[in-house]
Amino acid sequence: MSVQPLAPSDASLLELVDRLLNKGVVLIGEATISVAGVDLIYLGLNLVLSSVDALERSTGGSSGGGAPRT
Amino acid sequence: MRLIAHAITPAPRPRVAVSGLRGRPLEWLESAGLGIWSTRWDTAEPLAREDVLDHHRVVEGICAATPCLPVRFGTAFADAAAARATLDRRSDALRDALARVSGRCEIAVTLLWREPSGGSAPRPPVAEATGPGRRFLDERRTRWSASEARRRRAAELVERLVTTLAVEPALVWHEICSSERVAVSLAVLSPTDQAADRIASLRRVLAGLSDVTGVVNGPWPPYTFAGIDESGGVSAGSATRLPGWPPA
Repeated sequence: MSVQPLAPSDASLLELVDRLLNKGVVLIGEATISVAGVDLIYLGLNLVLSSVDALERSTGGSSGGGAPRT
Repeated sequence: MRLIAHAITPAPRPRVAVSGLRGRPLEWLESAGLGIWSTRWDTAEPLAREDVLDHHRVVEGICAATPCLPVRFGTAFADAAAARATLDRRSDALRDALARVSGRCEIAVTLLWREPSGGSAPRPPVAEATGPGRRFLDERRTRWSASEARRRRAAELVERLVTTLAVEPALVWHEICSSERVAVSLAVLSPTDQAADRIASLRRVLAGLSDVTGVVNGPWPPYTFAGIDESGGVSAGSATRLPGWPPA
């Protein structure tokens, strides 16, 4: 299965969301973002893109026999 | 009721032409020569995904008026006293960070691979007589080689961008090969009055790259460069992530 290119507009949005959620001054020492149950868009650029890849593999796997990578 | 923090700026209160989240009043709390901007929020009211980008609108509005440290989205204070106590405890570190970003903005560059990993690379011939173990190792070696080649290429691209920007390394943050599609994610802290020229220079360089698609964003508030020295630690409970955020 071919990997679809990421549209520049998607990359822009993901970069911005990554900044808003993962950068900026941190005023708290113990806070973390819980991964469990969180919508993928909130997890930041790296994980979002990895997850999109995984989802596509999963979709391809259901028709092509490949195992999804998570 | 809690306070969702947006940004920290020097006192006295500057005039800003922006409302808080969802158009609600923007509040200013001052202490130690600093002020924190926030939106009053009902504890029971969940934040929505639209609020993430609305936070960006608020921070941009504040940064347009005064030097500003963006606060990470989702940070909430129980009350005004907790917000002021945080300013008191970290005033030196916050002032240092404000001095670092004053008059500067963030430019973001993302380089996306045009081809999937190994998509155009020639596959090594595999002898029909080889067994499954040999084939597994050959395939693994091919993937590793392709991955290393991409990392080297991404590092070259970073070097070229930094050279183009002609800035000291401390003003650049970058990450390479963070996913199969992203070659480089880079941020530079630029003088605001030079941002347009730098964006134009970056776009010229990116237009000449054949193996990646370049995306330049900004100028943005200095999100990536707003970090402060953690030694000024804030006691537990003075600020927390808003309950219900991130949403399930």
